[in-house]
Amino acid sequence: MPIQLTSQAYCKMVLHAAKYPHCAVNGLLVAEKTKEKKKDSHGEPVLCVDCVPLFHGTLALAPMLEVALTLIDTWCKENSYVIAGYYQANERTKDSRPNQVAEKVAARISENFSDAAIVMLDNSRLTMSCFEPIVLIYDHHENKWKSREVTFDCFEDWSEAQKITSALLEGRSYENLIDFDNHLDDLRNDWTNPVINKSVLDLC
Amino acid sequence: MASVSEMYDVGWEEMRDKLRKWREDNCRNSEQIVDVGEELISEHASKLGDDIWIIYEQVMIAALDCSRDDLALTCLQELRKQFPDSHRVKRLSGMRLEALERYDEANKHYDAILQDDPTNTAARKRKISILKAQGKGTEAIRELNEYLEQECLRCVCCVKMTHPQLYQSAYCFPCHFHSYGKAAFCLEELMMTNPHNHLYCEQYAEVKYTQGGLENLELSRKYFAQALRLNNRNMRALFGLYMSASHIAASPKVSAKVKKDNMKYAAWAATQINRAYKMAGRGTKENKCSMKTVEEMLESMQITMS
Repeated sequence: MPIQLTSQAYCKMVLHAAKYPHCAVNGLLVAEKTKEKKKDSHGEPVLCVDCVPLFHGTLALAPMLEVALTLIDTWCKENSYVIAGYYQANERTKDSRPNQVAEKVAARISENFSDAAIVMLDNSRLTMSCFEPIVLIYDHHENKWKSREVTFDCFEDWSEAQKITSALLEGRSYENLIDFDNHLDDLRNDWTNPVINKSVLDLC
Repeated sequence: MASVSEMYDVGWEEMRDKLRKWREDNCRNSEQIVDVGEELISEHASKLGDDIWIIYEQVMIAALDCSRDDLALTCLQELRKQFPDSHRVKRLSGMRLEALERYDEANKHYDAILQDDPTNTAARKRKISILKAQGKGTEAIRELNEYLEQECLRCVCCVKMTHPQLYQSAYCFPCHFHSYGKAAFCLEELMMTNPHNHLYCEQYAEVKYTQGGLENLELSRKYFAQALRLNNRNMRALFGLYMSASHIAASPKVSAKVKKDNMKYAAWAATQINRAYKMAGRGTKENKCSMKTVEEMLESMQITMS
């Protein structure tokens, strides 16, 4: 089942990358947990309603990643969400391929959610106007991660996502985006980003 | 567009002091530096005295980060006029070429500096950064290792004390390329010369944990504990202590005593974590949810670990 992104999920990923232009960043994508598997649910896209920005800088260290995964998993259960994917933007502009870290985390997510996807951000196409989607989506097929063609169908509403992301970038909202690293620096920083979520809602 | 001084109601002295603080803390908030610095330079240059030169340097580097080549060039030209034969300014010229991705020309600048002064760390570091930017990670690490070895042969203490940045980058590159052994080595050196720095202890513990295996886990637990002794508010160290102790306690290879001891450490860490969240959540409704989530997470981990 292919994944689809809401405006909130997409714009928070882009804001995270924009906040730390000189670092690699990563995070998790969450989807609503469906109550029961409908018989004809094959082929229906999984809607990623939100994302949780995790780290910036060194992405490859295990302990905080484990803490984040477990904590966010617990939070998901309380809110009827499920961790459905992983996103990453690499440090170098021209490098947008998933690396070992991405594959490891995605494999871990797949243990709980079989259709987990990796979303890579293409740094070289990041602009203020966001005139085109800058994500690459990878699905797991036959033990390999293969990229899928990204169309406007990968978004719940691309023109809304584009409008909101562009507006928030112009307004420098990324300065207020909180990731899990910020949370570990000061526990009062809320990684669910209620302020940004509200801004997104206001712009819808 | 409103000026910085209008928007934030600050005078030029405050702007100058802010720039100094960002310099001292090594912040990379380039957009803000450009906003504040550009205004300071264009409207208050005469009041800054000799500070202006270091401000030109700081603003120039921030301008490169923001693709403001116009501003970078202005700053660079002022610096060239004032310090025509300076290696430091030559390095800035090199950095501008790097930002424009003209790596060969940049390397020529740095090679020229190194010919004149083979010990120039800044130029060596830039050359290594170019390799990294070009995706030549293994070469970058090799160059870094060679440089560190050479320096160690010449003057061990000196280098470590005066160039922690070099060791720090030396630790970041290997992590990026999964050479955790090399990262651990760099952190060991940093810890030796900076024994009171809780961040190095905690980062070392994280690298050991990532390397895995019982021995590394026990080492990581010790260093997380050490980091906490140095700074009892380091949340990463607290979580790290909890995770490492829990994993050790859950391992089938440990004796009953070790298991019991580690369960005690983990339980202590869990209490401290809960307390820290409680303190952070005082008064805010949203953070109370966060506290509940952490409590549940710690409980559920106890179940899976035991």
